[in-house]
Amino acid sequence: MTAIKLNKDQIQKIILSALGFIGLIYCYFTFFLGPLNRSRENMTAEIGDMQHKTASSKTELKKTANLEAQAKEATGRYEALKRTTAEGAPIAWFPPKMRTFFAKYGIDKASARLESSGNFKQPEMSNWIKDTWAIELPESDYSALGTALADLENTEPLLAIQRLVIHAVPEQPQSQQVSLFAQTALYKK
Amino acid sequence: MALHLNLLHEEFTEERQRKRDPLKLGIKALIGIGALLFLYYGWNAYQTIEINSQLGSARAEWQKVEPNVTAAQKRAAELHQIIDSTKVLDGFIDDRYYWAPLLALISHCVAPNIQLTSFDGATVETDHTISVTLEGIAAAREPRAAAEEFRQLLNEQLEKKKYGEVKVNFKNLEDLDTMISLQGVPTASARFILSVTFDPTPGDRAKKTEKTDEPRPTKPGKAPNDGDQT
Repeated sequence: MTAIKLNKDQIQKIILSALGFIGLIYCYFTFFLGPLNRSRENMTAEIGDMQHKTASSKTELKKTANLEAQAKEATGRYEALKRTTAEGAPIAWFPPKMRTFFAKYGIDKASARLESSGNFKQPEMSNWIKDTWAIELPESDYSALGTALADLENTEPLLAIQRLVIHAVPEQPQSQQVSLFAQTALYKK
Repeated sequence: MALHLNLLHEEFTEERQRKRDPLKLGIKALIGIGALLFLYYGWNAYQTIEINSQLGSARAEWQKVEPNVTAAQKRAAELHQIIDSTKVLDGFIDDRYYWAPLLALISHCVAPNIQLTSFDGATVETDHTISVTLEGIAAAREPRAAAEEFRQLLNEQLEKKKYGEVKVNFKNLEDLDTMISLQGVPTASARFILSVTFDPTPGDRAKKTEKTDEPRPTKPGKAPNDGDQT
């Protein structure tokens, strides 16, 4: 095997070709394939992100639907509890309501005044207010009072009697003087 | 072996040199490699276009889903608030003490020779126990014994109701100088003050910590019997 002898002109041409090749490879990777690959990687990542978001959102939609089904009872109950609060300021409708209620049991002259009003400690109860009322029944029959209280406790779920004071009226042995301190949970309207 | 004479030696050499021209060969190689690279780039570009269309459809799908998701997230937050609020309100309802049954119970314990003049009951905020102060007058030949009988009966009835930590104690018991007419007969009397305390829901705190799914207790609220008076 004989070694190919290259003359100066040929060596120059080979070097020129090699440089051309290197230039071609550099340009190809730097200006063509590189940006293309980068944009493809970005798009792939974005697709992954979108698909993840879409999948998780579908799960979230399912979860919300399940929650809606589970919360059906709670929602119905909540709406019913909300309806126990009448429209307007409680001071305007609560005392007449109590007067009418006790009058149904023959207990007349019932009066109610707002003792205190405050918010619940729980953050989820931000739409509700806790009022304390002093209800005075100056003349009441014990039996009628018991029946009225039983009815009040059963028909007003968001009313809790905190204190009950009954005094006999010396001049009227059949009547008692009654004071009720009731706490109510009312929806802010 | 035959002898060959190459008379075109120079021409042949020139022809060979032309064919072996490195620049020419290099250009050919570059064109070849360039064509391969171009094909590879084309393949990559095709894939990129395909990925781009996938991205477009993924974006379209997300845009279709996004408003629903936002609405669902809002609704979920709302539902969580409703559920939590209902729990708190249920707790408020369940923690109530029903006074009507206690009035009924007391009226059952009051004998004809006992007259209650005052009732002061309250729920104790800290531990949800019930504290009641009863004032009254007992009339009998032995008025203190009548008062004690009333105390014992009340204690017994409260324990029967399954109330916990029932305590019925005299705060005060004193004989009165005045005689009371009981069924037309003048009778000795005594004034008493009773302190009554009990836990209306014994064991309930333990139940609450266990968080069982038992059905909620039925609401009491029985009215006292007619004809009983304090």
